[in-house]
This record gives sequence, structure tokens and C-alpha cells, in this order.
Amino acid sequence: MNWLKQLVSRRRLYGDLSEEIREHLEEKVEGLVRNGMSPEDAEFAARREFGNVSLTEERARDVWRWPTVENLLNDIRYGFRMLRNNPGFSVVAIVTLALGIGANTAIFSVVDRALIRPLPYWQPNRLITLGEVRPQEGKSSESDTRIWNASYPDYLDWTRQSKSFESLAGFSGDLFTLYGTGEPEQIFGAQATINFFSTLGVKPFLGRDFAVGEDIAAGPKVAILSYGSWIRRFGADKQVLGRSLALDSKSVNIIGVLPREFEFAPQGNAEIWVPLHIDKDMVSRRSLRWMPVIGRLAPRVTPRQALAELHAINAGLRAAYPQENGTIQVVMVPLRDRIVGHIEPLLLVLFGAVGFVLLIACANVTNLLLARASARRREFSIRAALGAPRSRLISQLLVESMMLAAAGGALGLLLAEWGTSLLIAAIPRQLLDSAPFLRDARPNFAVLTFLCAAVMFTGVAFGLVPALQISEGREGEALKEEGRGSAGGIRMRLRGVLVIAEIAFSLVLLIGSALMVESFAALVGRNPGFDTQNLLVFFVNLPATSYPKDPDAVRFDKEFTDRLRSLPGVDGVTSNSVVPLTGGGASIRFVIEGRPVATGHENECNIRDVGANYFSVMKIPLLAGRLFTDAADTETAPKHVIVNQAWAKQYVDGEDPLGKRIRFTYSPTQPYREIVGVVGNTAEAGLDGPDEPSLFLPFAEDTNPFIPYIVRTGGNPASAVSAVRGALHALDPQLALIQPFTMDQIIAQSPSVFLRRYPAFLIGSFAALALVLAMVGLYGLISYSVAHRTRELGIRIALGAGHYDVMRLVLGEGARLTMMGVVAGLAAALGLTQLMRSLLFGVNAVDPATFATVAVVLALVAMVACYLPARRAMRTDPAATLRYE
Amino acid sequence: MKSHEQRNLFPGALEMMILRTLKRHPLHGYALAQHIKQTSNDLLQIEEGSLYPALERLLKEGLVEAEWGISATNRRVRIYRVTPAGAKHLEREVSRFERMLEGIMRVLARGES
Repeated sequence: MNWLKQLVSRRRLYGDLSEEIREHLEEKVEGLVRNGMSPEDAEFAARREFGNVSLTEERARDVWRWPTVENLLNDIRYGFRMLRNNPGFSVVAIVTLALGIGANTAIFSVVDRALIRPLPYWQPNRLITLGEVRPQEGKSSESDTRIWNASYPDYLDWTRQSKSFESLAGFSGDLFTLYGTGEPEQIFGAQATINFFSTLGVKPFLGRDFAVGEDIAAGPKVAILSYGSWIRRFGADKQVLGRSLALDSKSVNIIGVLPREFEFAPQGNAEIWVPLHIDKDMVSRRSLRWMPVIGRLAPRVTPRQALAELHAINAGLRAAYPQENGTIQVVMVPLRDRIVGHIEPLLLVLFGAVGFVLLIACANVTNLLLARASARRREFSIRAALGAPRSRLISQLLVESMMLAAAGGALGLLLAEWGTSLLIAAIPRQLLDSAPFLRDARPNFAVLTFLCAAVMFTGVAFGLVPALQISEGREGEALKEEGRGSAGGIRMRLRGVLVIAEIAFSLVLLIGSALMVESFAALVGRNPGFDTQNLLVFFVNLPATSYPKDPDAVRFDKEFTDRLRSLPGVDGVTSNSVVPLTGGGASIRFVIEGRPVATGHENECNIRDVGANYFSVMKIPLLAGRLFTDAADTETAPKHVIVNQAWAKQYVDGEDPLGKRIRFTYSPTQPYREIVGVVGNTAEAGLDGPDEPSLFLPFAEDTNPFIPYIVRTGGNPASAVSAVRGALHALDPQLALIQPFTMDQIIAQSPSVFLRRYPAFLIGSFAALALVLAMVGLYGLISYSVAHRTRELGIRIALGAGHYDVMRLVLGEGARLTMMGVVAGLAAALGLTQLMRSLLFGVNAVDPATFATVAVVLALVAMVACYLPARRAMRTDPAATLRYE
Repeated sequence: MKSHEQRNLFPGALEMMILRTLKRHPLHGYALAQHIKQTSNDLLQIEEGSLYPALERLLKEGLVEAEWGISATNRRVRIYRVTPAGAKHLEREVSRFERMLEGIMRVLARGES
């Protein structure tokens, strides 16, 4: 193989060739002159007979090399020189591309984790989730799959009677007090039926799964650790199996460790999994629907068949238990919907928005390349005239475009890495717990492929337009046109279309972000029905060992609240079984005295157990009647209840609720309770939720070992935490202060606020970026047009046009493009904002004021972008331009 | 300015003529060009430049070799000569060409009768 020798000796070969050709021509000229020709004619004749010298030389050299590869290397070398010699152009193009590609990859990597990647379970598309809903519930729980529950007896009947499922499993959240060295610690866990992991197809990475007979005991005896807690709490010790943990003052054996990749979003924060252990009531009461159920379809059973069978089973249960199940409907969706369904609209909107940024970036870079192509016409025309084949010119331009795209892609990848971690870091921890799959979002292989595809696409897309244009075979024309200074027709029109598109795209993004910002403002501006300022919220969990009976909890509550009230800076203390704005909580069925309903058709609404002074501490207005008082609501007094306005409107609309009596129907021994007060509504599930009908009972009547406390402080509530913890430990050193947060923090981290703030910020950033890019494009086009119309403008001025006329001429051109962009953008926005309707709050998707304001602002900014070149045009010196001609 | 170097020659014809010419006596590029032109009585339109890519091809394939020397007109020139491989290649090509030509002629003759 002598190719290596060839490669080394090639430089000498090329030198030989040039010298040889030169000698050839000289000899020829000499001969012709000797024959009597003049030297000039001889020179010309020699060249004509020889042919194209440089082309001949290049062809002869081509013999020695691999032309495609070497042409490519040459193009790259040349392209690199071009990019380096035009730093302004290169930097703008690369940064524009990097922003477009980086932002898209970052969003895509999040979308990929959430929506594209299959759930990390065995055959995840065979997994479903089930729930029971009652039309009489005051809220539409059917639409929110995340709160679907079933009662344990119904679950057992489904399991026994159905044939469509390989298995059905239940789970529920749990909170443990972990006793170890030092202060007792509250840890989040989950309890599950013993077939839970096998239903998902997950095997512990160490140890074993739950075994038959280990569930429905008085309390857990065995536990499986999450991988994270195994690392954190046990230092990844493989000897952990068989060791015991002191959970809630019981000793629990560790039997397994879950694999690292295991995640289960509905219980995303669970550090420890134990078999289902619940009290007798919850096992036996068919009307208590508390357990989320998942299932795996049996082989060859379709979801439709499974649901049909469930409906049949449900019909049997309705007939058998009319009181509990009379109006129950069974609902079923793929498990995936329960896990990612709620963030799907958000992600798709973000994905769409960022896609617009990429389009604008591409349009802008194409614009830049078109502008530069004009500047390089002479260079290309000369190359074409010298015999460069069309394919070489196209490949040269393509190579340059690809180099830009590659540089933009590489920088974009860095931006994507950074952007992805930023996107994840911006999600509040509690929300991230419910979407654990997002934690691992980073630009992975799929994302990289996507990135490369995007880069290739943009590279080819914006590379070909100028390449095709230049190599249309009108080289001579281009050379002639060079000095004329007219605006090149087709190219200008194309650039105009691109700028119009950029303006339209950025208008869509601007309108989208304005709608999001308005939604966010409307949301945080919404009165939640209570004063959210200076509130501290935390939880106390009373272990059954120290507080076995209801009176123990009541005694604790009284002593604790008394202690807190005496703390300096504390203005009030109360509790509620569910903190407003946090959602969830129990509902209860009731009948109103004198309005009989068919068995099982009772209405159902929120039930809240509130501490003393709840309404006054929260500053919830009393609209009618009275509040609970220690004097009137003693243990022996007749039972009373307070309702909210939404309750009064829904169930006794038009009548006076005061004095009416209601009865809870879960037990025949329940007494009638008189409505003594009507209070204002509070936002329960979140700031964006509807006003839900609610009933309030005094805490003393319906205690719970897990108590959410609410403290109103005079100053910053966060600074009261240590004093509150001190008071708690002074009362009982074994109790932990769980999750102390200010109400402001709770609101800031709530899904409803996050769901607006996050896209408001992101789409806002995208829109700002889009606006800048579009304005750069518009500015560039108008400047270019002014530069190329210098002669025309000069003549106009010479013929008497005033500065004002010139300014109007240039601004008019910009205004025309802007108007077309705005009209197209408004039309597109009319359709596209519909897609983000589920994210909006308090503003219409086609809000005319928003559309108009944003369009006007965009038009004004566009005029500023045109003003700068227009001012330059105004100062055109007619004498100078005409002389230049 | 498109080049027409081989428009009226079939592929390999130019190389065959170069080899044939050089086989008689080694020549440098200019002399080779003049020789081919004169011998063909200017019937073939060959750009002189097109010889060089062909010569480079032959060099690369080892069918000719080149050496710098001094020409009769006292110029520094590269003189090409046919290698043994080149001679064999020429023989093979010529007989292939003759066979082809014969075939073509027969078809043309049949068409005439």
C-alpha cells in the first residue's frame, strides 16, 4: 500500500504539476511567437488551446486523492475561516441556535422522562388504576384520577369475583415516628397489600417481597426499604436484612430493599414500605373509601372487557349493599394517567412554546445566512465563473451551515444540561415527590438524538435556501448586478416572509405568556376566604401508645394550645383536620331533617374538625348565626354544626339554614345536629379550586391522632418555629414538630400556584427570547434594505424628498411587515391559546384586552427596531450616493 | 466555460493514445500534445490541458513513469516513458478496442447491404 507515501509526497507532486503546466504554456507561446504571432495573441491562443488552467490542475490533483473527503475537509477549513472572519455573524448565529436547541432539549428531556419513557414496571401498559365515585359527592372526583379511592371490602370483592385481572393491589400513604439515636423522627412511608410489588412486577433488589399473612395485622412487623433510605440510613449495608427498626414504638423487621430505579409517584416520598395495617373500621366499613387501587390486566383481556366485568360486579354490589354502594360507579384508566396525567397539559404547552422558539431561531439564522449570502454573491459568482461546479458551491454552503449548527448544537447541549437541572430545581420539593421520575431528567441518549435531529434539520433547512439561490446558474447576472445596489427581489421577499413569521411566532408566545402571567396574578390575587398572612402550619402525630383514647388527644390539644397562646408573638392558635388550600380530607354523607332520600342516595360533602377559635384565628367571616363556644358546645350539650356559604347555597338554597338539622348516615345512632352558623367559603383544594360545600364540627367531638395546627403570629411566622417546638417538647419530648411551613410557603409550593408560576416564567422567558430574536431579524432586514436602497433614497432626497418622507418610507416598510406578522400571529394565537385553557385561571383563552395590548406593545417595539435604520436612511447624503455610482 | 475535453472521445481513448505515443519514444507533456495533434491531423478536438489529468492517472496506476530532464529546446521538462506494465496494458487495450471496432464495423456494414 503506497497511499501513505502518496500522501507524504503529494505536496511535491502538486509542485511538479504546476511547474510542468507553466513550462508547457511557455513553450507553446514561444513556438507561436517564433511562427510570427504577437506575444499577446500567442499568450491568448496558448491558453485557449490549453483550456482552463486551474481546473486542469485541480482535476489532475484530484487523481491523487479521495475527492469527496478532501473536498469536505477543504470546505470545512474554508468554512472555518469564513466564520472566524465574520465574528459578529458567527456569534449571533451560533448563540441563536444554541438557545433554540438548548431550550428545546431541556424541555424535551423533561417531557421524555414524564410522557415518553414507559413507566419503570414490567409491561406497564397492562397496568390500570381503579376508583369508586359517587355523583352525590359535592366535588367532581371523577375527573381527578389522583384522588380515586375504593373501600377495602369492595376491593376484596373485586379481587374475588373478577377474572379480568392478574392481580389487584391497594396502597396508602403512611407516616411513622422512627425512634433511634437522638430525637424521634417523622418519616414518610407507605403501606400496601402484599401483592403490590408483584402487581407492578418489581422485585426487591435485596431480600424478599411481602408474604401471605403479613398484612391486615394490628401494625406492621416487616418493612421494605427504599433504595434511597437504605443508602442514607444504613450506608448501603448489605447486612441490613433482619435488622429491626423502632417504628411508632413497634419493632419492625427489615426484609428487603427496593431497587434503585424503583419509583411510585403516588407515594413518591415513601422511604419505607410496610404491609397494609389499618384499624378495624377501615377494613370492614364499605362506605369508607380510602384506598387507591392498581391492577394488572390478565393476558389477552382488553381494558374494555375488564371495565365491563367490573361494571357487572359493581351492579351486584349495588344491589347487595344499597346503603353503602347504592350510587357507586366504578372508574378505570391506565395507571399512566394517574401518574403523569395531571402534568401532561403543562408539559405539552411548554413543549409547544419552546418549539416556537426553535422555529424563530431557525428563521433568524436563515435570515442571517440570506443576508450574508447577498454579501458573498461576488465571491460565489467568481468561483462559479472560474469553473467551480454547482455541487461544490452547494456543498460549501451546506458545510458552513452544518458547522454553525454543530457549534450551536454543542453550545446548546451545555445550555440543555444547565437548563434541565434548572427546570427540575425550580419544582418545589413536595411536588417533585409526586413526580419522582423528573428527578433523573437529564439530557440522555434519546435527548441527544433529538438534539442531533434538530441540528441536522435546522442546518439543512437554513443551509439550502441560500445555496439553491446562488447556484441557480445566474452567475453572470449576479456579477453584473453587483454594482447596481438594488434590493434583490426574491431574496428580499423571502427574508420578509421570514421576518413576518418571526413576528407572528413571537406574538403567539407573548400572548401565551401574558395569559399565563394574568392567570398567575388572578390566582395569587384570589381571596382564599381567610387571611393567609402570618400563619404558621405544622403537624403533630400522637402515638397510640401514649395517647390511646380520644380524651387523651383532647387533653393534649388543650394543654398544647394554651402553651402556644402564652408564647410572645403568638396571636392565636387553632387546628383543622385539613389545612385549607392543601386539599384532600374526609367527606361525609348526611341527610337534612324533613327531606328524606332513598337509601344510599344521601348527599356527601367535606367534613372538617376545627379547633377552638378556628374561624376567628383564620379571620373567616361569620355570615349568620354564631361560632362554636366552649360554653354552648360542651360534651353533653346538643350537637351543633357550622356550614359554609357554598353548603347553604347548594343544599338549602333560598332558605334560612340556621336551625335546620342534619344527621350523618354512617351510623343509625348518629344524632341530629343543628346548624348554628354559616361562615364564608375557603379555598380547599387550592387557590384555583371551586368553593366546596363543607361542614364543620368541633375538634373535641371528632378527634384524630394526626393534628394539623395553625398559629397566627404577630411577626414573621417562620421565626416562631423554634419557640413552638420548645413548647411541644416541654409538653412531651417524644413528639415531633412535623413539616412546619408558613402559609405563604404552602401557597407558593401548591400545585395550583406552581402550575401557573412555572409556565408563566418559562413561557415568559421564551417569549422575551422570541421577541429579541424577531426584533434582531426585523432590524437586520430593514438595515439591509436601507443599505441597498441608498441610491434610491439619495435620488429621492436630491429630488426634494424631506427627511420626514424618507423616515416614513423606511418605517412604512417595517410597519407593513409588522402588521402582517401581527395579523398572522393573532390568528394563530386564537387557535393555539385554546390548547392551554386548562392552565389558565380567571382569564379567557381569547381575552380581547390581552390580545390587543400585546399586539400594540409588539408593534411599538417593532417600530423602535425600524427607527434606528430609518434614522440612518434619513441622513443619507444624496451627493455622496450619486458620486459613488 | 464548460470543458469539452472528452466529449468526443470514449473513456480510456486518450490514455490509449498517450501510451501508444510514448511507447515509440519518451516525451514531455508539450511535445506529447503536439505529437498527438499532428498525428491525428487535428481531427480530434483535444484541449492540451486535458492531457495532464490523464497523465497523472497513468502515473498513479504505474503505467508510465516520469523524470525531470532537459528538452531539446533546453527547457526543464518532465519526460514520460511507458513502463512494462504500461506496455502490457496498452496491448490489452488496443486488442479490446480493435475487437470493439470490428464489432461496430460489422453492424454498420450489415446495415448498408
